[in-house]
Order: sequence, then C-alpha cells, then structure tokens
Amino acid sequence: MIDVPSIADLNLTVTFPAVFLALFTMVVLIVDLFIPKDRKIRTAHLTLGGLVVAFVWNVLVFDSNQTALGGMYIADSFSGFINFIALTAAIITCFLSVDYLKRTGIEQGEFYSLLLFSTAGVMFMGAASDLIVVFIALEILSIPLYVMAAMRYRDAKSEESGLKYFILGAFASAFFLYGAALVYGATGTTSLPEIFASVEGIVATDSGARLYLVLGAALIFVGLGFKVAVVPFHMWTPDVYEGAPTPVTAFMSVAAKAGGFAALLRLMVIALPELTANIGDTIAIWQTTIAIVAAATMILGNFVAIVQTNVKRMLAYSSIAHAGYILMGVAAVGTIGVAEEATRAALIYMLAYTFTNLGAFAVVMALEKDDGSGTQIADFKGLSRSRPLLAVMMAFFMLSLTGVPTTAGFIGKFLLFGAALEAGLVLLTIIGVLTSVVSAYYYVRIIVNMYLEDGEGDPAEGATQYLNYATYAAFAGTLIIGLFPFLAVNLLDTMMIAGLF
Amino acid sequence: MTFNELSWEALAFGAFTILTLGGALGVVFNRNLVRGAVWLVVSLFGVAGFFVLLSAPFLAAVQVLVYIGAIGILFTFAVMLTRSMTNLSERFNKQAWLSALAAVTLFLLILLAVIAPIFGEIAAPSSEVVATTEDLGVALVSGDKFVLPFEVASLLLTAAMIGAIVIAREED
Amino acid sequence: MVEVEAFIVLSAALFILGAMGVVLRRNAILVFMSVELMLNAANLALVAFAWHWGGMDGHIFVFFVITVAAAEVAVGLALIVAIFRSRQSINIDELHLMEG
Repeated sequence: MIDVPSIADLNLTVTFPAVFLALFTMVVLIVDLFIPKDRKIRTAHLTLGGLVVAFVWNVLVFDSNQTALGGMYIADSFSGFINFIALTAAIITCFLSVDYLKRTGIEQGEFYSLLLFSTAGVMFMGAASDLIVVFIALEILSIPLYVMAAMRYRDAKSEESGLKYFILGAFASAFFLYGAALVYGATGTTSLPEIFASVEGIVATDSGARLYLVLGAALIFVGLGFKVAVVPFHMWTPDVYEGAPTPVTAFMSVAAKAGGFAALLRLMVIALPELTANIGDTIAIWQTTIAIVAAATMILGNFVAIVQTNVKRMLAYSSIAHAGYILMGVAAVGTIGVAEEATRAALIYMLAYTFTNLGAFAVVMALEKDDGSGTQIADFKGLSRSRPLLAVMMAFFMLSLTGVPTTAGFIGKFLLFGAALEAGLVLLTIIGVLTSVVSAYYYVRIIVNMYLEDGEGDPAEGATQYLNYATYAAFAGTLIIGLFPFLAVNLLDTMMIAGLF
Repeated sequence: MTFNELSWEALAFGAFTILTLGGALGVVFNRNLVRGAVWLVVSLFGVAGFFVLLSAPFLAAVQVLVYIGAIGILFTFAVMLTRSMTNLSERFNKQAWLSALAAVTLFLLILLAVIAPIFGEIAAPSSEVVATTEDLGVALVSGDKFVLPFEVASLLLTAAMIGAIVIAREED
Repeated sequence: MVEVEAFIVLSAALFILGAMGVVLRRNAILVFMSVELMLNAANLALVAFAWHWGGMDGHIFVFFVITVAAAEVAVGLALIVAIFRSRQSINIDELHLMEG
C-alpha cells in the first residue's frame, strides 16, 4: 500500500513564491499564443503581474523557517532573500526588455516565458536542500539563458554567444554532476542536512570516503565556478556578455550569479562546514583554495577591465571581479563561527550588485543603437549635457560598483571585508581593498567621459519609457540600500539557515 | 589461475569496459562525425550493460530507450543536417599538449580499472536492499520523497522544448 | 574482486576521456558528444554508489540526469544547427571558445 501524505504535510504554503511562478510560466506561455504579434507588450504586463504576485507572496512567507515537500525545499530567510534578488532582477529585466526587444526586432512572446523559467530556477536553487534539486534547478536556470543569449538571430555574435555559453555550461554541469556523485558516494545520501551529519564521522575516520568527499566538493566548486565566472573558469564571460542581447546580459550577470552563489553557500554552510583537516579544527579544508581563487578573480577581473573599450565587455570583467568579492564571503564561511555573518554579507553584496549592475546595463542600453553598436566607452562622451539625469544615475552606479560610501556597493564591501577579517583572511581583505582602488580607474573613466568630454548630439535615443522605469527602480534600490542599509540588514538579522545557527 | 576461475561477472565487466572505453576513445579520436555518433552509441550501450551488472535493470532500459534511442538519433540527425562536416581535415584544436597530460592519467586509471579486478568475482553489495522499479516509481511521485525534483524536471523539459523551438524557428 | 572502486575508477576514466574530448576536439557536435560521455561517467558512478549503499537516491539521480541530458541535447543541437545554417561551419576554434 502506498503511503500518501496529506497535503498539509507537504507544507506547500511556504513554497508558493517559487511554485506559483513556475505555474504562472505556463499561463504566460498559453496566453501569449492569443496575443497578436504587435501587442506583445501585454505579455510583458502579464509577466510583470505574476512576478509582483510572487514578490508579495515571498514577503509574506519570508521568515517562515520551515521545510516543505519532504525536506527537499527549505523556506528560510536565506531562500527568501535569494527569491527577493531573483524577483527584483526579473522585474527590472522585464522593464528593460520591452522596448529593447521591439526596436531591435527580436520581440517574441516566448522571451518572457523563458525569463520566468530561469527566474524560477534561481528560486529553486536558493531553496534546494538536496543535491538532486540543486542539479535540476541549475539546469532550469541555465537552459533558458542559452536560448535567450542566442535570440538575436540576425547577429552571428549572438548565436555564437549562445553556443559558447551552452557548451561551457553543459561542461560545467557535468563537473557539478560528477562532484555530486562523489559526494553521494562518500556519504550515501543526496540530502544536504544528512551530508552534514555524516561529514564529521568521515573526517574522524580518515577513510577513502574523505578523498571522495574532498574531490567531490572540488568538482562541485568547479561546476558552480563556471556558472558564476570565477578565475580560471571565466573565459566565456566577455564574449557571451558582449554577444547576448543586452537585457539578457544584464539578467545573466545578476541572476545566474545569484543562483550559483546560493547553491555554493548552501552547500558550504549546510553540508560541508565541518570538512576540516582534523577533528576540532576551526577552519574548513576548502577555505584556502577558495581564498586563492577569490584573490585571483579579483585581480584578473579588475586589471583586465582597465584595458576594455567596449562597455559591455568592461562590465563583463567587472562582473568577474565582483564574483571574486562575493567568493571572499564564501571563503569566510569556512571559519567556524563566522559562517552566519559571512553569509549575510555575501547576500547583501549580491542584492546591492543586482540593483547597481542592472542600472548600469540600463544606461548602456539607453545608448545602444538598434544594430547593437554604441556601446563603446567613447559613446558616453557628453552625456551629462544631453541627458543630465541619465548621466547622474550612471555616475552613481559606477561609484556604487567601486564601493564609494553612501552607495549600496559600499555597504556590501564593508560587510564583506568585515566578515573576511573576522575569519582571519587578512591578506585576502587587503587584496580586496587594493583591487577596489584599481577598479575606481575604469569606473571613473566613464564618469570622466560623460562630464569632461564633449560629444555630438544626443546619443541616448534608447532611453524610452519602460527603460527609464527600470533605470529609476535600479537607482532607487542602489540609493536606498546605500543610505538605509539597515533595511536590508534587518531582513537577515534573524538569519536562520533552517535550524543550523 | 585457470580460465574457470574467471567468473562470468568479471568477463561481463571486462566486455562492458571494452565497449564503454572503446566507444569513448572512438568519439574522442575519430575523423568522421557519423562514426563519432556510432561510437557514442557503443559507449552508451556499454554503460547500460554496467547498469544491469549493478542491479539497476530499469535504468538500463531507460538508458537504451532514451539515451541510445532518442539522444543518439538526435545526434545523427544533427550530423546529417550539418552534412558538409562529416570528414574533418583537422582532428584536434591547438591545445593538443593537454592530451599528453590527460593521456598519462587516463592510462594509469585504465590499468587499475581493467587489470586489477579481473582476478575475482563480483563482490556482494553491502546492502541487500535493491530498489525495484516500483520503488522508484513511488518515490518519484510521493510527497515526502522526490516530487519536487520530478515537477521541476517537467518544467525543465517544457523550457527546453520552447527554447529549441525558438531557436530553430525560421524568421517569420 | 570487482569492488565498487573498480566501477568508480572506470567512470573516472570515462569522465577524463570526455573532458579530453571537450578540450581537444574542434567540432561543436563532437565536443557535445564528449559532454555526454562525461554525464554518462557520472551516471555510472551514481549507480555504482547506489549499489554500494543499497539506497535508491542514486537511481533517482540517474533518472533525472537522463531527463536533463535529453533537454540539453534538444537545445544544444538546435543551437548547433542554427549556427551551421547561418555560418556553414561549426568548428569551435572559429568561435574562440577558450579565449577571453
């Protein structure tokens, strides 16, 4: 006889933000079929409506600290915060896409369904407490992005970008999967809390299982490292970012990163914090490796960004650098006792980066021509005169990416550096501060171009109604987090990663 | 050691090893795309054999049906649709030096895998419990087991279908 | 004795062969086939571990991996065919896959 659990046991209420969005995707898919080709803006409105409903629902169940669906899904403030980031990114991307898709002639209703699929993937990834769910969520996050990157089908660069992203993404998934298989082999379970429970015994006995566990964790790190673009797995980033349609690049740069880091943090915090060299050590065995990777990522990302002339490429390298900063938080998680603070810092950094980077891409899109040109740094010349408001906002985004006080980026970096120092990663913190100073060079160069150089005419022909909404929203988010950081910090004040802290 | 001491399991293990790794070598080193697809099927078939050996007959069937039947055929179609590429003048890209490193590692692994185990019989699994097809089916849809990944996987298949259509659709 | 380790070593060999294929081959379809080899290596390891532990988690995982592989193949081959249609070439080197 099959034992059927009651609906109440499934605890579906707390999963509703993600489950609702998944179901809503199907609605968008079907309704879109009945919307005529010249009215695709209605699909966008419908999509936005669904995202807002999911957003509100997420606020309602934000702090529920429960597991659902047989322990596969954790609804805690960690997953609530990741949902918050994913939905914010999707809403702003939706605004970014409306006019852009139309004027570049790639408007298709399926774009919005794919965007929702990918967003749901990020949300499931943040809430997954089982390696199987993490793997499938990783795929549903990635596969729509491969398609969206290739959507600009008249442009060979876009198709190439899609294929390149796809092949390296599939390659990375294979690494992740093999790592997950080895972790399963070492522990006999795919559930993250159960893996956590068996890690200590494995460390104590020093058996072959430990080799599997360390190797497995390393391969999972490689797989997720590809997704979030850390050195040395970053080579796809600039070409893919440059070739993909700009709203897709913007979404990719924040959502794929949020998903990848969510899985990485979950895994390191829930499953493997006790993977130490000896029983009783306070530093996890993987901390040094991750710290070195973080340092290399910050250095390479920031220095190569200096020589870029295309803003999309520059933002690609900048996104690599920012992955390095967030990775610093992941490394800090490896010191026992700092995990909570470091996780919170990494999450707030991601939120700040989400608003700031989407804003920066919004301004880039305002300048971008229909054929995809107009994204050189020189194209920013004279923007302060033709579009003063846009220039002010862009300057603010650039300062926030640098980490200047009163901006969101400063709050994120402040918390991250603090957590890293507390974890004893002094050298890494120094590298972080120094590379931030270096990054000022190329961010400020854009400000210099906008304010001190003369340009001809009005370059910002793409600054249309919906794009402006997106820019204002991103600007407001960056400003609010910068001025009132406690709003975001308080969200995570009672940070509970389901029963661990 | 006489021939009789070789158990049939060890022989099957050896045979499937040859199929799996041979097929894989064929994929990595051949000069012809059509043959590459055939080699891939050979390798996948070897893996299906291992599934039988590891008491997972259902997965072996799924492997043959989905992997060989559907994915293998899709690959063959893709090769046909991109027909002018069936004979490759250049086999490798410019990173061939990596092959030396990888090949040495590989050789050692194969040595361990193939030569070491052939002198014995299959060890009994450490647990007698083997999941039946019915167990798998129930677990996939029962609310306290794997219903979440099952539903998300359905979502994934839909997304992939939509995505493939979006890409393949001619400009209209 | 054919221990579980034998299967794992074998799967590691298959995984490395697949990875070699991805890094070495120039043709996108062959690169993608090599990715499939890597996924199969993981499947083999999962089933071997499931045999070792006597649970069904590994079997379920493989079931989902096959699903995911089917989804990946659909999208990937569509992309490859679309690129071939517009460029008449699917050589990876021309795509500058491993360069920044």
